[in-house]
Amino acid sequence: MLTGPWRWLVPVLLVLLLVSVVLWAPWQARQMESTERQEQLIADTLWVEQTIRFELTRNEDAMAALAADLSGGAVPDLRARLDALMRNGHELRRVLWMDAEGNVTASTAPGSLAPPSPSPEMRAALSLAHSSGRAMYMPPVGVHMDYYVPVRRNGIYIGGLIATYNLGTLLEEMVPWWFAHENQVSLTDRDEHVLARRAAAGPGRGVYTHKHPMDLPGATIILATDSVKSAPRLLPNMLVGSVVALAVALLASLAALWRHINRRLAAEGALRQQMAFRTAMENSLVTGLRARDLEGRITYVNPAFCDIVGLPADEIVGRAPPMPYWAPEAMSEYQQRFAGVLAGNVTPQFETIYQRSDGSRVPVLIFEAPLVDAEGRQTGWMGSILDISDRKRAEELARQQQEKLQASARLATMGEMASMLAHELNQPLAAISSYTTGALNLLDGGKPVEPNLIQRALEQARVQAQRAGQIIRSVHEFVKKREPQRRPVDLFQLTEGLRTLIELQARRHFVVFDNAIPGGLPPVLADRMMIEQVLLNLTRNAIDAMADTDPAQRVLRLWAEHEDGMITVCVADRGTGIPAEVAERLFSPFFSTKSEGMGMGLSVCRTAVEFHGGTLTHAPNPGGGTVFQFTLPVANNEEA
Amino acid sequence: MLHIVDDEDVVRDSLSWLAQSRGIAARSYADGAGFLEAAGGGFDTEGDCVLLDVRMPGMNGVAVFDQLTVRGLAARLPVIFLTGHGDVPMAVDALKRGAFDFFEKPFNDNQLMDRVQEALAQSRRAGEAAAVQARLESLSAREREVLDLIMAGKMNKVIADELGISMRTVEVHRAHIFDKMQVKTAVELAGLLK
Repeated sequence: MLTGPWRWLVPVLLVLLLVSVVLWAPWQARQMESTERQEQLIADTLWVEQTIRFELTRNEDAMAALAADLSGGAVPDLRARLDALMRNGHELRRVLWMDAEGNVTASTAPGSLAPPSPSPEMRAALSLAHSSGRAMYMPPVGVHMDYYVPVRRNGIYIGGLIATYNLGTLLEEMVPWWFAHENQVSLTDRDEHVLARRAAAGPGRGVYTHKHPMDLPGATIILATDSVKSAPRLLPNMLVGSVVALAVALLASLAALWRHINRRLAAEGALRQQMAFRTAMENSLVTGLRARDLEGRITYVNPAFCDIVGLPADEIVGRAPPMPYWAPEAMSEYQQRFAGVLAGNVTPQFETIYQRSDGSRVPVLIFEAPLVDAEGRQTGWMGSILDISDRKRAEELARQQQEKLQASARLATMGEMASMLAHELNQPLAAISSYTTGALNLLDGGKPVEPNLIQRALEQARVQAQRAGQIIRSVHEFVKKREPQRRPVDLFQLTEGLRTLIELQARRHFVVFDNAIPGGLPPVLADRMMIEQVLLNLTRNAIDAMADTDPAQRVLRLWAEHEDGMITVCVADRGTGIPAEVAERLFSPFFSTKSEGMGMGLSVCRTAVEFHGGTLTHAPNPGGGTVFQFTLPVANNEEA
Repeated sequence: MLHIVDDEDVVRDSLSWLAQSRGIAARSYADGAGFLEAAGGGFDTEGDCVLLDVRMPGMNGVAVFDQLTVRGLAARLPVIFLTGHGDVPMAVDALKRGAFDFFEKPFNDNQLMDRVQEALAQSRRAGEAAAVQARLESLSAREREVLDLIMAGKMNKVIADELGISMRTVEVHRAHIFDKMQVKTAVELAGLLK
């Protein structure tokens, strides 16, 4: 198979050959026809000449017979014999007998036709005939030509028979009609002066001509034929025409084919480019691609898919389930999903685990879409596989980060709490110190002391010591770090347990704490510590919010409602409310309206509430300020 | 008299008890406003001292102290601030403006009481000085001249010569001075004006 420019060599050569043959063939045909016609003309001319000669010979023979009779003696019926000659040859104009003196004694002419006045050539001919004693033709004069037969008797010239031919009539009589119809026939003398002409079908065209000299004794005339046919035209017939037409059609179809091939080549080139582009695209993808037929057999994988499962393409393509990358522990899940594939319903998006060839697990996210062929029939499934190890890692990292943030927020809370506790513990400790110091002072005074006085002081000191212990214990409970554990929690008990801590803050800011949570609520399923933290955060925010409120109005109120299996806990303050622009970002981490705030409180609160399947919202308090409310699920009996 | 101003019942009670154990009379007030009302233009006792909690609802300790300064009672009423953790800068500032001292909770009770007694003594001295000043101001201009000469240790005759008055007049002035200054002898007078 030739390639490149050479591919066109053979067709071009063939086309050139065809063109030359198509051009050459009509020319050749014309040549052949021309030659054939010329030959035909020559043959016909010879035939005509033979006919004329035959007629002349017949007349010569008759004249010779008559001359012999005359030579033998007088011929009484000479005149009748001459007439007979005339009758047998229409081409004869006249026949006469001229005696030795030159007198015409017998003639066929109706009138007296004067003997032809002899021309010098004729004289020469006559004398030649005399001398030789043989019959001779005289050179033609005009359309007439004489045949002279000298007659001798006993060696003495006694006269001569003269037959005068009309050459025109000779042509009329001797040339057959079909020949005359196609040719102009002429008789000329040696100098090509036309003596007689027959042109039944018009003058000749001068294309096919033939001249044949007829050597008669004493004279030479030339028979010239000239066909009325013109030269053959180049495309004279259907055959050549159709060949040429077919050749043109062939060329046209070749050109069309050429164009078609060019278009096809261009399309192929574009397709190849597109294929290369797509292949490059598929190879550069980090997303794995996998095509399956309707039986679940893998028909195609891209390099990224091979990278994900750690297997070369030829070990995967053509495989039917179970696949080599299926992890044993998730086999039932695969089988179930594969049964769905065979049934024709595919989960469009799901997460699963693949096992790499080295045994490690890859979490993947798979999107499936039907694979449809050009006729719109579904031929299989195309799946794109995302390796979500990184995302999983990021999620895990984010989760840890969130935990750390919670811990930090807890620490921040604890830091403030510790500072506050130091302040708050000062009170009972200072009181204890004062009571005991006072008591010691009295005892050291040396004077008698009334026991009631000492007893009262010590009693007060004990109460204060217990108060300090209570504070420390509540903090201790709060600080203990542990994993979230959701257990049925009674909100009333929980809030009462927090009362000491909340009141510590509340009193510091001269806020009245009103715990209106009823005692008979069903328990919620919650992690006690997380809910405590949420409540402490919200109550501290509520207390902070009332810094600019008239002290008489500073009330922090807690209450709860039970509805549809959820308990809504409300924390209401009488502060300045939340401006719209703050409300937008209220739950964003690190957003804070407080100069020393970390911006973690509400973010952590919301995370904690959402961990329990609840929501954290806020609304304006009808009496001024804000109500924060969060929901918690009621614990079911079987879990209780 | 020790005036205890604190919003905490326990603190008031325990500090009153402590003061009494040292023989110091004490009165307590639950807030600054109540104390200022009771203080009025000053107390008539032999020395007063105020234990003032910095952090209180309504009017805080520093505001109460400022009010005392405005009323001109600061000298007669030495103020000892009781501060919690974190309120020290505020107390130091008050100290610079004339407060007697500050104690950060928890404090050593008997040291506090010692300072209270010093404050009471100062208050008493301030009260006496104010009384002497008041007596001095009751003297006429001539009596004041005579007093200065007496304090210079000059005899009546010399004083009479210097002032161009009679001996008898000097003696009358002298008697008035002693009377107004509530002393009987020149030595006593000198001790008062020391």
